[in-house]
Amino acid sequence: MPFMKVYPKNPARSLWVMKPLVKMFRFLGKTIVHRPVCILYPYEKMWVPDNYRGRPGLDFNMCVGCGMCVRMCPTSAIVLVDAPDDNGNIVKRPQINMGRCAFCGYCAEYCPIDAMTVTPEFELAEYTREDLIYGPRRLAYKGTNDMMKIQIEETLISDIKNGNPERRVKPFMIDRPELESAKCISCKKCEKVCPVSAIKMVEHGVNAKGRPILWPEIDDSKCICCENCVDECPKSALHIKEVL
Amino acid sequence: MMERDLMDIRAETDELTTDKMWVIMGPQHPFSHGLWTLKVELDGEIITDAEPIVGYLHRGWEKECENRPYAKIVPMADRLCYAASMTYSHLYCMTVEKALDIEVPEKAQYIRVVSDEICRISSHLMWLAAVGTDLGNFTVFLWCMREREYWMDLFVRLCGARMTTNYPRIGGVRNDITDLFDRDVDRCTEHFEKSLWDIITLIDDSSIFVSRMKGTGILTREQCVNLGITGPAMRGNGVDFDIRRDDPYETYGKIDFEVPVMNDGDSYSRYMVRVEELFQSCRIIKQAMQKIRAIGKNAPYRLKVPTNVPACTAMCRLEDPRGESLMYLVADGSGKPYRLKVRSPIFTNVSASKPLVVGSRIADVPAIMAMIDMCLGETDR
Repeated sequence: MPFMKVYPKNPARSLWVMKPLVKMFRFLGKTIVHRPVCILYPYEKMWVPDNYRGRPGLDFNMCVGCGMCVRMCPTSAIVLVDAPDDNGNIVKRPQINMGRCAFCGYCAEYCPIDAMTVTPEFELAEYTREDLIYGPRRLAYKGTNDMMKIQIEETLISDIKNGNPERRVKPFMIDRPELESAKCISCKKCEKVCPVSAIKMVEHGVNAKGRPILWPEIDDSKCICCENCVDECPKSALHIKEVL
Repeated sequence: MMERDLMDIRAETDELTTDKMWVIMGPQHPFSHGLWTLKVELDGEIITDAEPIVGYLHRGWEKECENRPYAKIVPMADRLCYAASMTYSHLYCMTVEKALDIEVPEKAQYIRVVSDEICRISSHLMWLAAVGTDLGNFTVFLWCMREREYWMDLFVRLCGARMTTNYPRIGGVRNDITDLFDRDVDRCTEHFEKSLWDIITLIDDSSIFVSRMKGTGILTREQCVNLGITGPAMRGNGVDFDIRRDDPYETYGKIDFEVPVMNDGDSYSRYMVRVEELFQSCRIIKQAMQKIRAIGKNAPYRLKVPTNVPACTAMCRLEDPRGESLMYLVADGSGKPYRLKVRSPIFTNVSASKPLVVGSRIADVPAIMAMIDMCLGETDR
């Protein structure tokens, strides 16, 4: 116990007259030699690391509009809005209300293609609340580097049981939607909602009324497991099969 | 004639009686560390009765959790306590892991131990700063806050945020420790062990401080146990109990440290226990960092966990900087908790404010309540 045992035996205690003087000069010397702790804030700024969780940033062209950030945002600060891309086509992109943002970094962490990043920007004061709403283009951040693209590196429980633990980057992307074909009504909503066009409706015979039976088939190489098809399915025919 | 006059005066003073008076301290009052009210009944300068009132900061935290997926509660758990945010998200993750019946990788456990202890140090430093201002020494406040900045910088290196760290995850921690953190944690610990002595000498050698703390806010050991006080306030009363040692979670069982206990039961012993805990935390951090280095860089630190928790109940507790925190989870098999109950240490410690302050002078109340180390965010939830 460094404090409780050492301190009462401190011989300096007996010099109670000299002690304050000695201490004062010691601290005075220390203060003179020590560089200032304060900084002149607006002119000098504190250093922040690259992985600092400031406002979220977005690479507009990389984003596929899957809505994973919207799904994971704990404060519901993110919504998908229509925005014109470089070619003039209307696409879905996230818009963030910085007034609600909790700066938890979940949007960057769970983004399956690393379009969403954290940025070291923390000076976000505005005059009106409307100015705090960052549209998809305003979210762009110059100088995005790899440290800002937060990656999930997880190990599967099965891997540890097998004695071969390895870190897998974005392991949630190996989960796949599974079809309960008896429930499927061939409405094609899953195909329409898939942001990366990984779902293709494939004909599996004809029903009693002579109409084709279409079931979704998922291209594993394209799927990013955003669960949009699962949410959109009106008959709950799709559910995510988790790889653990 | 003269005798008669004197007798008259004495008769008048005998009739001069004062009424007892209720004084409301708080919710915004220089003595209170947060939003709460202490109603005290004064007989002159002596406190004869007291009543704590909490609830000004109630946000419906537990009810909010019932409408959220498990992963989204982690950033919310940070908001329970602004000074020791990591411990609550850690506790929440531990509870869910217990419900899921999974064991976290060893590296993650050590990282959690390190981050918890950094959290404890920064929380205790904030308390020490507050004690400085409560007892009228602003230098203590400035020096404590200066030292705290180094630990806050460590948090930034570790997870990219200073206060609401959002670092533990269900199944491990958010990211691995970086090389910069590995380098700075040793520097910071060594620097802190030296510089803490400066702060201690400021407080401990000042007779004003010591006379204000010694012999005030006395609780007996039995009172302390019956009231359910936990943490440093309990260990200052002679109860030798620490969850880190007696019911070890994570890897605390593999780490060598001592639990400081003082038997006086006054404010000064609570102060001494907390200061000693600062040194012990440095000791734990050093050992845990050695273990992390021994485990190696490529070891797993985070598990992929299922989204849904099977229907069960789970209860976990850990040693918060302020005492024993506990979470009780009732899961119904869905992706959201059915019920999540939090037991916060300060809620119980606040309820002990009546036996703490009764009998003391009103000028002692800031010092007595400062030694409880208030955090009303976790109390009101």
